[in-house]
Amino acid sequence: MGSSRPAPLAGRALLAGAAALDGDAAAITGLVLQIQRMSTEDGPGLRSSAFLKGCPLSCAWCHNPESIETRPQVQWLGLRCIAGRTADGCGACLRSCPRGALSRGAQGNIEVERASCVGCGTCAEACPGGAMELLGTRMEAGQLADELLKDLSWWKASERGGITLTGGEASLQAVFALEVFRLCRKAGAHTALDTCGLAKWETLEGLYSQVDLVLYDLKEADSGRHRVFTGAGNELVLANFERTAALMRSAAMPASMWIRTPIIPGATDSEENLLALGELIARADPPRLERWELCAFNKLCAGKYRSLGRKWDYEEASLMRREDLERLAGSARRATGGKVEVSWTGSCRD
Amino acid sequence: MASLKQPHGLSPRVQKLRSWYFEGADRSWNNEYSSWSTGTSWDIQFNELTYYIVPEVYTLLGAMRSSFRMAARPIALRQDFWSLSLPERRAWFLKEVMTRHLPRDLLPGDLLAGSRFNIQTSLCLNEAEAREYDSLVLGKKGARAAAIEFHNHGYGNAGATSGHLIPGYAELLASGWKGIAAKIEAALASLPQAEAAGARGAQLRAMLIATQMPRELSLAYAADCEALAASCAADGAGDGGGRGADDARRAELLVMAAALRQVAWEPARDFREALQALWLGHMLVMADENYPGPGVSFGRIDQYLLPYWERSKAEGMSMQEAKELLGCFWFHCNTAYDAQIRTGNNGITAGFGQLFNLSGLGAEGQDMSNELSYLFLEVIDGMSPILEPKPNVRLHRGSPEKLLDKVVSMVESSQGAPFLLNFDERSMAGMMREAREAPAEASLHIRKDNVHDYASVGCLENTMAGNDRSGTVDCNQNLLKAVELALTGGEDLLPFTDAMTGRTTAPRRAGPATGDARSFASWEEFWAAYREQTRYIVGRIVELYEVSESIRARFFPTPYLSCLVKGCAEQGRDITSGGAELSFVTIEAVTFATAVDSLLAVRHLVFDRKDCTMVELIEALKANWKGHEALRAKAHNKAPKYGRDDPQADAMGAAVMELWCAETWKHRTASTGRRFRPGMLSWNYWAGDGFVMAASPDGRERGQFLSNAICPSNGADINGPTSNANSVGAVLGGRGSEGADWGDYRNSLPNGASHTITFNPSILRDGEHREKFKAFLRGYAEKGGTALQINMLDPEMLKDAQARPQEYRHLLVRVTGYNAYFTSIGRELQDEVIARLSHGKF
Repeated sequence: MGSSRPAPLAGRALLAGAAALDGDAAAITGLVLQIQRMSTEDGPGLRSSAFLKGCPLSCAWCHNPESIETRPQVQWLGLRCIAGRTADGCGACLRSCPRGALSRGAQGNIEVERASCVGCGTCAEACPGGAMELLGTRMEAGQLADELLKDLSWWKASERGGITLTGGEASLQAVFALEVFRLCRKAGAHTALDTCGLAKWETLEGLYSQVDLVLYDLKEADSGRHRVFTGAGNELVLANFERTAALMRSAAMPASMWIRTPIIPGATDSEENLLALGELIARADPPRLERWELCAFNKLCAGKYRSLGRKWDYEEASLMRREDLERLAGSARRATGGKVEVSWTGSCRD
Repeated sequence: MASLKQPHGLSPRVQKLRSWYFEGADRSWNNEYSSWSTGTSWDIQFNELTYYIVPEVYTLLGAMRSSFRMAARPIALRQDFWSLSLPERRAWFLKEVMTRHLPRDLLPGDLLAGSRFNIQTSLCLNEAEAREYDSLVLGKKGARAAAIEFHNHGYGNAGATSGHLIPGYAELLASGWKGIAAKIEAALASLPQAEAAGARGAQLRAMLIATQMPRELSLAYAADCEALAASCAADGAGDGGGRGADDARRAELLVMAAALRQVAWEPARDFREALQALWLGHMLVMADENYPGPGVSFGRIDQYLLPYWERSKAEGMSMQEAKELLGCFWFHCNTAYDAQIRTGNNGITAGFGQLFNLSGLGAEGQDMSNELSYLFLEVIDGMSPILEPKPNVRLHRGSPEKLLDKVVSMVESSQGAPFLLNFDERSMAGMMREAREAPAEASLHIRKDNVHDYASVGCLENTMAGNDRSGTVDCNQNLLKAVELALTGGEDLLPFTDAMTGRTTAPRRAGPATGDARSFASWEEFWAAYREQTRYIVGRIVELYEVSESIRARFFPTPYLSCLVKGCAEQGRDITSGGAELSFVTIEAVTFATAVDSLLAVRHLVFDRKDCTMVELIEALKANWKGHEALRAKAHNKAPKYGRDDPQADAMGAAVMELWCAETWKHRTASTGRRFRPGMLSWNYWAGDGFVMAASPDGRERGQFLSNAICPSNGADINGPTSNANSVGAVLGGRGSEGADWGDYRNSLPNGASHTITFNPSILRDGEHREKFKAFLRGYAEKGGTALQINMLDPEMLKDAQARPQEYRHLLVRVTGYNAYFTSIGRELQDEVIARLSHGKF
């Protein structure tokens, strides 16, 4: 609360820092997990989304588990492995690893000794089939911006098309993200930040200066449950949300907002949660809140967990039922007094 | 998503005709081929030259020729028949068959006359001509053997082929046959006496005979209508349904008769007359060429029919009546497939292309969509699924929302576009390039002030209308062959085994000796070899084409078609002799991406990364990659690929394009003086020739598909539709003021280039996403190519992906905020995704 005060120094410093580097964007680098062009799901219009690596949360249901760690990792995609199709069993990855972190498992699979692997990517480089995949590529801000801007004409053909920085959590690489936003915006792109809200306020505030749309995730209203499911309490998330709303009311932040809530069976899918989230949204009352999206749980990421050698708590879970999603969306609408556009997206059981 | 598209909103009459059509061979009436002879012992009907571009039928050519010969019915010839010139004989013979021998039928409930037209007529050769023709076609070094040899060795195929043009239908409707005949008479009258007695005079006289054919046929159908109307009145022998129905049918028949009497010779005055004249005029082109529906296209039909529609509307015709007439028109177009109704699926193949364009730019840069454009779209929507005629919707940067909305809703309900989309700015840039590259041949007829009236034939091949035959399917060239020849220094990579005789012949040198690639020290040396071999393969296809082109020009005139193509009367020259004002031959490149990716792989593997030596690479290709799996995987996965919006890879694509186009423009046919121009269309060759061509350096095994037209190789476009389209736009020339052809658009391919992109149906799942898809189409007009086919991911494709995951490693499935490689999500989930897609639950 009380965010009507001038932008705090940290935010300005962030900006000043980036400005000082103007023309030398090469010096700012970030760890990029993936670039997805013609994304139709991360904001308005046609967009290019960059998934930045690293997240302060570790949600039990996370759909992009490979994005959580802040350092590069490798994973083995069995289907691409040619070992079984060659006379000598290939083994290029095993031979290439400078730290001996790779071994062949009982089923011919490649196992990564996570403790020794530093994610140098040598194996990915050596693997002929692309089965060893490096998750996380270091890029210069200018380089990422150039890559994203290849679709500028397409964004201009759509309403508010542009870029979305997501993750992971883009604000973990704030200086990098800010510079990418700045470069793309300068070229005429609409910019969106997808954030879980768990960041220093000053960091978010700095990023907001270059952002046209904030995709703000609100997962769980109860802090205890939030901690159980995501590994962190929600106090800072909620406080930042209120500050964001307040800043949006000032001239300092003309951006719009979408709120996104993952609807996870047995976790966030309770009526109480939606009502409580709705209440706090209504209370913060961010202007230009364009929609509140309830994103239905999906299971397509099960294979990713297997590739990363991790067990996933939701392996056995079922998709949501349409009826329940409709009901939850109704609760969300009621809780926000019908003033917020609420929709649910994704697939359901029936 | 809707399940399988069903026809809807059709009137009972059209519904009935449509259902009747699909009864196929069970119908009481059909438009099956009939064959007609001069009655001589040496007679020939089947013009096989037009099938040299269909390698599947090479082994059947002899059988087709003899069965049409056996089935041919002789007709009595006029006394002086053999003293006439060949074009006159042909014109007379065709007229005689069409007006006096081929049955005329008025079909139940039909509002348009003109039923049977699939015929094989005598080539009308005298004995000496037939002997000469046979030695040119069937001789040991004849056209057939040359075509087969060329194809067997992986160069592609070529042959002088029917159709693939837009006859001057607009002019026909406006001036009637009377006007066309007057023009021919004037040309004949202006010939110096010596010329009038020679070939030009003969051609013009043949054309004059031809103009009488639609006249007589139209009047005969009018008489049929009147007779049937009279019998309706007399004994209730209409289509049944009692006296009231008979009264109604009688009235219809009389209206039809009146229209037929009008358009037999005079211009059309209203919508009904225009459609009647258009249909008769069109079906006779197919009769003249003895070939059903081969890309004989209608051009900008919503533009030139508009005045007739407006007239009819003012006179009280309702939209419903107009749709009924169009429904009948649709029915007739589909009867082209009856030609071989007893084979396969009632003879229905996807191979015909009676194309028409809708919408597009006008002279002042305005959008030309009109009431008819939307009426046509409604008819397509209501009639589909049905194959003919084939719509091609022209979009541009200023296409109206209403049109885009309709296009998107049709894409949605048909799970893929029931039409091709042409993109005007890039297409017009290509046509302007033609005028620039071949100013003597084209600059008079393709200008800044008329290029907006370009239209497409067949599938998407851009031409002008009414004066242009550019042989858009006649030469199909595997660019990849030049890579193979560069690797070997001019010979086939593999020995050739004849499937018929089982005889194997060792490779021998065919192309220029560009040196032993195994000794090349640099990429530049390899590129130089590729350049030489490209020069060679272009020269070879030109040489092969000349064989059938010269035979067609000499023995297969089409005087009726020539009446409808500007330039023929003016020059006294048949269209098959290059009479059209714009008379080009298009070389369609096949395997563009496979060739580009192969060059990229050679550079990457051998020269840049030194993953292997040239010796190893050639060994691996000879072994079809057996025992070289790791190298193959590197070629497939590690070498750069075209289609990813990677500037370096696309630069290779642009270099291949530039080189091949420059070579193409250098040539012209010797016999008919037609310049060659470049295009990219691959019909089905990219599948079939995959078995003919050896393994390629891009990691492709023999038997795997080659790349299709200008599309990236299968599975190579890992960065999605926008990057795919950016690459396509880039290799066509991109945009920029330097060397611009139209506005700031550049385009190396006047013919245009076929581009297919497959989408997940979730892109259209709600209004918001449909808007995004519209944005994609607008973006494509800015950045993409000339023509786009939109496919929707379908459950069958996903099942195939389960069976052959290597082929689909980049297939993404997407749900809100999340995406995954389909092949990596596990069988169970794959099944679930397929089930969801099948039931429209995304």
